[in-house]
Amino acid sequence: MASATRPATVRERVAASDRSIGRLLLVAAGALFWGWLLVSWVNRWLGGVLVPIGEPLVSAAAVEATLAALPGLAAYAADAAFVVELTPQLARGTWLTVVITAVSLVVGFVIAVPLAVARVYGRFSAWLSLAYTELLRGTPLLAQLFVLYYGLNLASYVPGALSGVFARGVVWVAILGFTLNGAAYQAEYIRGALESVEEGQITAGRAIGLSKLETIYHVVLPQGLRYAIPSWTNEFVYLIKYSSLAAFITVPELYYRADQVASETFRYTLIFVVTGVTYLALVLTASKLMGRVEEAVAIPGLGVEREE
Amino acid sequence: MSDGDFLRVTDVSKWYGDERVLHDVSFEMDRGDVTVLIGPSGSGKSTMLRCVNRLAEAQEGSIRLDGEEVLSPDLDVDELRREVGMVFQGFNLFAHLTAVGNVALGPRRVLGLSEADARERAEEQLDRVGLADQLDSYPAELSGGQQQRVGIARALAMEPKLMLFDEPTSALDPELIGEVLEAMHGLVDEGMTMLVVTHEMSFAREVADEVVFLDEGHVVERGPPDQLFERPEKERTGRFLERIASHD
Repeated sequence: MASATRPATVRERVAASDRSIGRLLLVAAGALFWGWLLVSWVNRWLGGVLVPIGEPLVSAAAVEATLAALPGLAAYAADAAFVVELTPQLARGTWLTVVITAVSLVVGFVIAVPLAVARVYGRFSAWLSLAYTELLRGTPLLAQLFVLYYGLNLASYVPGALSGVFARGVVWVAILGFTLNGAAYQAEYIRGALESVEEGQITAGRAIGLSKLETIYHVVLPQGLRYAIPSWTNEFVYLIKYSSLAAFITVPELYYRADQVASETFRYTLIFVVTGVTYLALVLTASKLMGRVEEAVAIPGLGVEREE
Repeated sequence: MSDGDFLRVTDVSKWYGDERVLHDVSFEMDRGDVTVLIGPSGSGKSTMLRCVNRLAEAQEGSIRLDGEEVLSPDLDVDELRREVGMVFQGFNLFAHLTAVGNVALGPRRVLGLSEADARERAEEQLDRVGLADQLDSYPAELSGGQQQRVGIARALAMEPKLMLFDEPTSALDPELIGEVLEAMHGLVDEGMTMLVVTHEMSFAREVADEVVFLDEGHVVERGPPDQLFERPEKERTGRFLERIASHD
């Protein structure tokens, strides 16, 4: 059936090319988005080699003039110039959003795996893990951040070695909060995945003389963590979005900076639409990335629903 | 008759809650013996098998393997299982590992062989069960018969002194049973000591030194296969054998 791989009808061919055009547009948008971010960040780190720090990569006046000259787009020229003026703030805020999300997610994962293992295979430790998970999932994240920042005043206890990394120590408080909270959610997803690993896998591991922990490490986790990828991706996506709560403890991330500009200019709709699109781009990148990871580590027959 | 120098099971009893599943089960094996446990489902034969490598815990009795008390609370069960291979009804291959990965895991992680040595040993064992051409296949890419042969190779790679088979062909399509029995015959020829739970009466007849018939947790009768199959002393044994024969 060689013909089955090639679109047979015109309609199928159009559909196929639609798909590829859509894909091309998405890739182009992604390249533009990440290109803008990376160049902006590098420009800032290198002390403004391309454009002065705080200035957009392209001149707002030039964008406005170009659009004004085009008959259909002239009405949007002023708005476009405003968005371009906004981009340095957005890029700066997005940097913190990305860093806070990435660090919290990775450290949270490192905590979540033992939490989930304890929950599924532990005795006393299962209760500890359950208590932790329920406490962190059952109380508002914002309240947790407030306790860490206002209540415990942790920002003033950031160790010297860490305090120099970010302009303000409060970023570490946010990372701590998201890590502790995210670990609880991640543990819950991983727990579900571990429980779906067949009992016979553990029996077989024990039968060749692996200890319980070795069986968990060499047999259960490699399978369970693969099962966990799709739901774990949800947690990734949530974390990107609720990292905006850091603004409420004065972390100058994406939402904070957007809000700041909006309260000065009162152009809430435009600013938050652009900010929303920025979050959307981050979320799409994350789910695309995790899709790639899932494909890369896929094993034939694993995670596929049994046919019987 | 065996004098039980190698494996001596004496008055083993086991309860699941209030239900007694093994009643004073006793039998013996010498090194190189093949003993086949037969009986209706729920007769306790798989449970008996699992007591030998402590996947199930017997509450009473004694199991001496090579002079050591298996049921002793001080026994290192991981050490015991290193020396006792097990093949499962449902294969239980590690789903995330290739055939070689499945067989090499024990030698690598339990015996501490190097990556290269473990792989070499795995390849040898897979060759031994006729799977030299499926080294890098994942379990889902193999037929049931092939999967079970990987299961056998996985147990053999630990160089066990006793092999336990828990209904190794029961989950297989009839046309795939032959290749697994063939691999088992090969082990018999090499002198492996084997304790086998199976419904394959022809296998029992051909290779068993002793057949033990269990029913409702009791040893009803045991003896060499020609005696037990041709001239069963107990009526219950005869009835069971007739029922099995009528299925074939």
